Amino acid sequence: MERRYLKATAAILVAFAVGLVGFWLVSSELGDGLEVTMDEAGWEEPEQVWQAPLDYGDDYVGGLIAGIIGFAATFGVVYLYMRGTKKLEQPR
Amino acid sequence: MHIPDGLMDPWVFIAGWALALAALAVALVKVNKNVDERTIPLMALLAAGIFVAQMLNFPVGGGTSGHLIGAALAVALVGLWPAMIIMTAIVVIQGLLFGDGGITAMGLNLLNMAVIAPLVAYLIISVAKGNKFSVPVAAWASVFVAALICAAQLALSYVISNGAYGIDPVLAIPTMAIWHAVIGVGEAIITGGVVLYLAKVAPETLRLSPKNVIKATEA
Repeated sequence: MERRYLKATAAILVAFAVGLVGFWLVSSELGDGLEVTMDEAGWEEPEQVWQAPLDYGDDYVGGLIAGIIGFAATFGVVYLYMRGTKKLEQPR
Repeated sequence: MHIPDGLMDPWVFIAGWALALAALAVALVKVNKNVDERTIPLMALLAAGIFVAQMLNFPVGGGTSGHLIGAALAVALVGLWPAMIIMTAIVVIQGLLFGDGGITAMGLNLLNMAVIAPLVAYLIISVAKGNKFSVPVAAWASVFVAALICAAQLALSYVISNGAYGIDPVLAIPTMAIWHAVIGVGEAIITGGVVLYLAKVAPETLRLSPKNVIKATEA
């Protein structure tokens, strides 16, 4: 992996860790545009079909861990998928 | 703007899956043909960065918050088809790993955030032909149009199910439009700022950008 991508990765994670403070200040009570619309309509979320193994955490540390796991998972999925397709394309 | 399970009429979410899968199949073919090896780390890093950025909410007033979608940013940096793949990976991981957005509604979430939002951003960037405001306007419009389409899906669900699913159009359309018109301003500021910053400090990261984005940063 090129050095500049490692640097960029570190920069994103540091910015995230700092920005997460803002996240906890505003996100615990405020819904996003769709959630506010659902609230105004009086719609209550039923039990979801898929029970996800993780959530975004209830505190700063939980959110930070979720962010790092999500970062790694997203990076890994895109990187491995793209590498895999390029490998399949190479002539045998 | 992640739709949960149970909100949409089954016919609407089935149509969402069909449309999203058709568009993403085209995107996969285009990306596999056109993306070179050097682009892969940038795509993966951009996907991971947008995932993280989506977790950070900003208040927009009136007890509502918003967060970056990132579709316009991805389009501005790597083009339309890679942006669709990047947004797909994010929406799928958010749904499967973190329960953000329902599994039945994932087709609609993919349609709104991984197909429509990048497509709107790309069309505006293409039409604006390098205007210096094209990137922020594209970012704002990507959020606003995707939200309007989401509101239309809510309204359609309500109408065809006689109120069993969805939200009354009288409430869904204006509420979604107003909040996302404001949230889109945040998207425009963040996207425009990041693209301008990269153009100044690391112009090589724009090597895959649509030509009009490079023109816009020079304008």
